Amino acid sequence: MKKIFLLLVLFSLLGCEKDDICIDDTTPRLVIEFYEKANPTVLRNVTNLKVTAEGETEFGVFTGTSKISIPLKITDTTTKYSFIINSTDTTFSNEDFIEINYTHQNVYVSRACGYKTIFELDTTSPFVATDAISNANLWIQDIDIVTTTIDNENEVHVKIYF
Amino acid sequence: MLKYIFSFFLLLISFSGNAQEATKKGSIAPKTERYGIRFGADLFKLTRSFYDKNYRGLELVGDYRLTRRHYIAAEIGNEKKTVDETQLNFTANGTYIKAGFDYNAYENWLGMQNMIYIGLRYGISSFSQTLNSYEIYNPDHYFDDAPTINVNEKYNGLSAQWVEVAAGVKAEVFHNVYVGFSLQLKRLVSNNKPNNFDNLYIPGFNRTYDGDFGVGFNYTISYFLPLYKATVKAKDKKADKKK
Repeated sequence: MKKIFLLLVLFSLLGCEKDDICIDDTTPRLVIEFYEKANPTVLRNVTNLKVTAEGETEFGVFTGTSKISIPLKITDTTTKYSFIINSTDTTFSNEDFIEINYTHQNVYVSRACGYKTIFELDTTSPFVATDAISNANLWIQDIDIVTTTIDNENEVHVKIYF
Repeated sequence: MLKYIFSFFLLLISFSGNAQEATKKGSIAPKTERYGIRFGADLFKLTRSFYDKNYRGLELVGDYRLTRRHYIAAEIGNEKKTVDETQLNFTANGTYIKAGFDYNAYENWLGMQNMIYIGLRYGISSFSQTLNSYEIYNPDHYFDDAPTINVNEKYNGLSAQWVEVAAGVKAEVFHNVYVGFSLQLKRLVSNNKPNNFDNLYIPGFNRTYDGDFGVGFNYTISYFLPLYKATVKAKDKKADKKK
């Protein structure tokens, strides 16, 4: 009787299939961190940074944060974004375009998650910033690619100095 | 309870006294049991092949009575199963063999040969997996979701090995015809996975889980082919009585 009971307990435990729900890390976003141009080791918060991908509706407006995560197109090798700093201020707003070039690859995760896409930034022009008016007007002053392999969101991939 | 156990033993002792007297006089024929080979098939796998279009399987089972309580047992089978998960669709196809022994724990009455047994098996499966299609899991829905990707990629030469503990019953329903049911608990010993995919279904082992464990069951019908009869030895009888 005891043995049968133990078996029943075991089977009921197997019934709770935790691998039915996707809980693993899947397709990562690009993690960008903002730093002070004058003091490159110091994080700098953005103010009303409006982020919109080309041809899409607004992704979001970020304020009081120095770190943002943006998705990349998993069916393309280029994703273009518009970054408008001080977007609510008509005199100080400044729009820069960012073009991210990469290759992507689909990697198996698990039964519940299926596959995820991981990205490898292009070695020659991974992250290009251009200004809406003239490049002399760029608010993004410097870019530092921390890692070209984007396979998780636990680390910062790109540093922007302004 | 103690009272009952005591009276039960008293009853046993009185029987054993009788039995000894009887054998001395030689009026009772010695108890014999039949030994032989039993072979059959898993009915569940067989019937499922008819009603489930995503499944085709056959399992042949057999055992040979080695001693009074021990049986050498084996199962051989072939399975093809298509699994449709939310994120994946794949087909596993392959052949397996499981071999080991069963221990009959059931005390049969004279002339009966039913089993309540526990068994141990070692299983080997050789199979292929075809990834029919998959979806990319993207927690961010800012861009349009990627369409389902049809790959139709076949991974050949996969294999797995496991040990399993089985518990079950076998009952004689007609003369020499047995119906059986068993539950199995399995643990993978080796699992040769494909590159950039996983063995999500292993023929013979069934569905894999996060850990190495698996479960299974079968529902068999089999035929017993008697080969010879053997007299139950006195010491075995005594052992029975003690129980």
